[in-house]
This record gives sequence, C-alpha cells and structure tokens, in this order.
Amino acid sequence: MIATVVHTDELLKTVAAAVVAGIGVTFAFSLSIWGVGQFAELSRNERPVAAAGAAVIGALALAFVAAAVITGIIVMTR
Amino acid sequence: MDSDIILVIVVGTALAFDFTNGFHDTANVVATSISTGAARPQVAIGFAALFNFVGAFISISVAATVAKDVVDAEVITPTIVFAGLIGAIAWNLITWYFGLPSSSSHALIGGVVGSAVAAVGFDAVLADGVVGKVLIPAVVAPLLAFLVAGAAIGISYRVVGKQRPGIVTRGYRYGQIVSGGLLALAHGTNDAQKTMGIITLALIANGSLGVEADPPFWVIASSAAAIALGTYSGGWRIIKTTGTRIIKMDAAQGFSAQGAGAAVILASTHYGFPLSTTHVINGGVMGAGAGKRLSAVRWGVAGNIFVAWLLTLPAAAAIGALTYGFTRIFGTGPLGPILVTLMALSLIVAAFARRAQQGAPVTAAGG
Repeated sequence: MIATVVHTDELLKTVAAAVVAGIGVTFAFSLSIWGVGQFAELSRNERPVAAAGAAVIGALALAFVAAAVITGIIVMTR
Repeated sequence: MDSDIILVIVVGTALAFDFTNGFHDTANVVATSISTGAARPQVAIGFAALFNFVGAFISISVAATVAKDVVDAEVITPTIVFAGLIGAIAWNLITWYFGLPSSSSHALIGGVVGSAVAAVGFDAVLADGVVGKVLIPAVVAPLLAFLVAGAAIGISYRVVGKQRPGIVTRGYRYGQIVSGGLLALAHGTNDAQKTMGIITLALIANGSLGVEADPPFWVIASSAAAIALGTYSGGWRIIKTTGTRIIKMDAAQGFSAQGAGAAVILASTHYGFPLSTTHVINGGVMGAGAGKRLSAVRWGVAGNIFVAWLLTLPAAAAIGALTYGFTRIFGTGPLGPILVTLMALSLIVAAFARRAQQGAPVTAAGG
C-alpha cells in the first residue's frame, strides 16, 4: 500500500538517473578540462606523446558528455 | 455558454500563470550563469527563454499527472480551476514582491487543491496522487539535487585541482553554456507542463475533452510560448537572491549546481513528477556551496527561502479557497471569475507601479 502511494520504483529510477547523469557528466566534463590543462602543460614541457595522450582523454571525455546529453534528451522524448 | 466564457477566462488565466511562472523562475534558471560570469544577463535570459520554449514540447508526463492525479477531474468545474490559478498567481506575485524564490508549482497545486476542497470537500482531492507524485518528490528532489551537486563539485575539484585556474574557470564557463541550456530545457519541460495539465483539466471539467485525453497541440504550443515570454521578462530581484545571496559561486560550482538541477528535473519529468524547479535548483546551488565549504552557504538566507517553501502550499490553498468562495457570492456564472480577474489585474498593476516607484527594476529587460 505504501509502495503504491510512494511510487517507489519510479522514485528510485529517478534517483538513479539523476545521480548517474549529474555526477557522471560533471566527472567527464572535469576530465575534459583536465585533458586540456595537461595538454597545455605537457606541450610546454616538450612532452608531445604525453600531451597527445591527455588530449585524447579530454576529447573522449567531452564526447561522453555530448553523448550523455543527447541520449538524455532522446529518452525524454519517448 | 456561461461555462464556455469561464473556460476562456481559465485558459487566459492559466497562460497568465504560466507567464508569471517563467517570470518568477528566470532567476533560478539563469542566476548561476550570470553570477559566475559565464554569460551576460541578456544572453543568459534569451537562451533560457528559447530553451524553455523547446523544453515544453519534449514530454507530457507531468501534464498528465496534473490533469488526472491531483484532483478528481469528474467533480471539478472550470471555476474551481480558475480559483486555484488565482491562488497560485497571487502567491507568486507576493513572493516575487518580497524577492523570495518560492515554488510556482507548489503554488499551483496548492491553489487547485484549496479551491477544490472549498468547492467539493476533501473527496475531490486524490490523496495518493498528491502524496506520491507531489509531496514526496517535493521533499526528495531538492535533497537529491543538494547531494548530487555536493558530490559533483567534490569530484570536480579533485579532478581539476592541480590545473591552472584560468583554464579551469574558462572550461567550466563554457560548460555552463550547456548546463545552463539543459537547466532551462528542464525547467521548460516540467513547468510548462503544469499549465498544460491545468488547461487540460479545465477542458475535461468543461466537457470539451474526455477524462483520459492528452493535452491538445494548441495547449502545448501556447503554454510553451507563455513560459518563454515570462522567462524573457523575468525579475532581477530574485536573480540576486539565488545567484549571490545563497553562496558566492565559482564557475565549477555553477556547472555542478546546474548539472545536478537539470539531471534531477529531467529524470523526474520523465516519470511524471511535477516538481518545484525552484526547490531543486536552489538545492543544487546550496549543495555546490556546501560541497566546497559548509560555511560558504549563507544559511540564514537559505532558511528564509525554506520558510517560503513551507508556506507555499497552505498559503496558495487558502487564497484559492477564498477566491472560490468569493466567486460563489455571484452564483455559478461567469460574473464571479470576471470580477476576480479585474481585481487581480488591478492589484498586479498596483504592485508593479509601487515597485517602479521604489526604483527597483521590475523586469530583466528594464534592468
């Protein structure tokens, strides 16, 4: 009875989606900023391979953010 | 004929409410972007209005909840819906006047519940829907936004803590263009749907739609336009409260707060929970502040906002009930709603004039 009134399943799914999206996207975006920062720092120190690695990590993280946002909006429209 | 006149008044009033909702909530949507320097005010407000408009079209789950799960549509009349709307608009304007970011959504639901109880009694209220879809999410969602934003800012600082501040600030400011857009989209989809739900409820009450009907397209489009226009005209006074008086934010905090708010509102909207977007966004802002340093949050201001939150449901319900009682003095025809509309318009003009006399900017465009 309580579970029916509270809509437990939908509430838990909401909590899970918000936690994954809110924290996951922020983490990925922070990682992309880290990638840019490291790329600039390592390039200045003439470490091109490490700089390229940081840039790839940053780019992948940014791609994850874009994918997460687009996926979220597509899910919303269904 | 009489009921059609009342229906037209209800639709007009609902769209006016939608406008005041956007007007009232502009601050919630753009304050973080403005206060961190991520966007100039006019740009942030323009973007917010645009994304509010688009957001209104992406879901109808919340509209269904408002139309079918809060009060019994089969015993509701358009006049009851009208009185509820007046309760919500009046409370919105009172809190706007005093610069408090209270909840337009709770005002709307409180107003309709209050007028329904005054008209029909407690049997008209669908307690399961009100508790399960409104009250419990109302408590959970701001806490969730607080926790998500707090965790997100903690992670952000760990990841970028050793990077040069210039790169970090610029990066998060760019990020805030996206997170601010998402927040506006989330706001548009959840809040505009409440108006869609209310108009749909009035159409059902009038017999123009079946009990299980979804909002017609004209209802969706007009609700989207009204909230977007309201957002574009939004108030500076509340921007100041949300953006700078709760905490002084950096760009990372702004991004985390907006991201958490958008995530909670979009997820809730998908499951049909008509949230207070104000509560959620302020929860995110406080979480982002507390995640950095507990003392960074001005808890006194947060406490004032909390009191406004607590008062919203009962205050709007009381105004809705009184409005319904007043309209009944003039019978069941359109005279009561027409008189109340004229009185409400007079009070709104007087409030704006008084604010203008005090020298405070009334709208964003004016500021």
